[in-house]
Amino acid sequence: MYYFSLLILFSVSHELFFICNLFFSLMLNYYDLNVHAYPETDAPVEELLSVAKRYGYAGIAITNHDEVVQEQPESNAVFYGVEIKANSVFDLKRKVKLHWGKVSLLAVHGGNDKINRAAVENPKVDVLAHPCGERGEVGLNHVLVRYAAKNSVAIDFNMDAIIHSRRGDRARTLGKMREHLKLVRKYNAPMILTSHAHSVYDLRAPREMIALAALFGMSKEEATSALCDIPAGILDKRWKKESEVEIIKNENSKVQKSK
Amino acid sequence: MKIAKCKSQNKMLFKKERLTRETTIFPFCQFAICNLQFALLILPPSLRERRRYLLFEVLCEREIDKRELLKEIWDSLYSLYGDVGASESKVWLIEYHKREDTNSSSGGVGILRCAHDKVEEVRASLACIHSINDARIGIRVIKISGTIKGVTRLR
Repeated sequence: MYYFSLLILFSVSHELFFICNLFFSLMLNYYDLNVHAYPETDAPVEELLSVAKRYGYAGIAITNHDEVVQEQPESNAVFYGVEIKANSVFDLKRKVKLHWGKVSLLAVHGGNDKINRAAVENPKVDVLAHPCGERGEVGLNHVLVRYAAKNSVAIDFNMDAIIHSRRGDRARTLGKMREHLKLVRKYNAPMILTSHAHSVYDLRAPREMIALAALFGMSKEEATSALCDIPAGILDKRWKKESEVEIIKNENSKVQKSK
Repeated sequence: MKIAKCKSQNKMLFKKERLTRETTIFPFCQFAICNLQFALLILPPSLRERRRYLLFEVLCEREIDKRELLKEIWDSLYSLYGDVGASESKVWLIEYHKREDTNSSSGGVGILRCAHDKVEEVRASLACIHSINDARIGIRVIKISGTIKGVTRLR
């Protein structure tokens, strides 16, 4: 009898543990909002998604440069966005007009002072990806971050720049990121952490991303919200004004009706 | 407080006495103690370093060697934290096993030991490893525990 009760206790405790684990995994939905997939690189969306799921992500956003190819239907786990690569401010405006309302995430390939400025001033843009360039050669200033907060354009901290560079380049990038973080805290602009992955080997698990973010002084809470809440809010267009998402809502409703 | 101090002092005295008695009366015993202290190097539990064991998973393009991996981990640690930081983290690769997946990528699982307060630093340096001899690689920490038994246990 005694052994039997013990057995029951064990099984119950294991179940409880399992349920707790499930609960925690449901509570925190991590998103990676900058992943480059098949037409641009040789990594198929399926493979990327399976690895990301194993790492603990709830979803990834495929943002190829200037093209949207939907391999799989869009779901809660896969979002199709676009990363606009523009040569000039005029080009950027034209491309934003072209893609706006047709994709769930509109990012801009940063790394140029003029492009950064134009992207941050445009409320239609969701994310300004890698604003400090590949090697931390350019950066944001207080004016740009204030505009980003006003227009709710998320500032992206790409971990790929830290992972793939060494010595001088990495030091410069970390310095720039530290500056950006200070400004973002001051003006309360949205910020996200992304892997900027070109293959499955470039993806990093959420806890690793948080540890990498700690290298430039980001606290654990900030990093967690930059991986969970803020990306989810961006995908929902939570901080955009009604007038800015009107067209998307209409299109969605049209699609639903036609189905 | 005073009483407590006195008690501890008494204890210390008692220990000292016992040690001296043992060493003086039984020379063989003294020899044994010396042997224990210098040959086997058993530290008392209070002086032992606190450690953490990380169970990690490697995703790589081709099969990699334990030696290659260890070299890359140390390189990454040095370049991120320098010699001082690397010495503080006390990294030691305990085990590494290769594993072949059904799909094109292969990888492995391993256990890494580090100082108990440097887990996040070691995690960051593991995450910074991107390639070994031009083979792309990604490392993820699965589990952390204070013992090897805990880290290898399922659930």
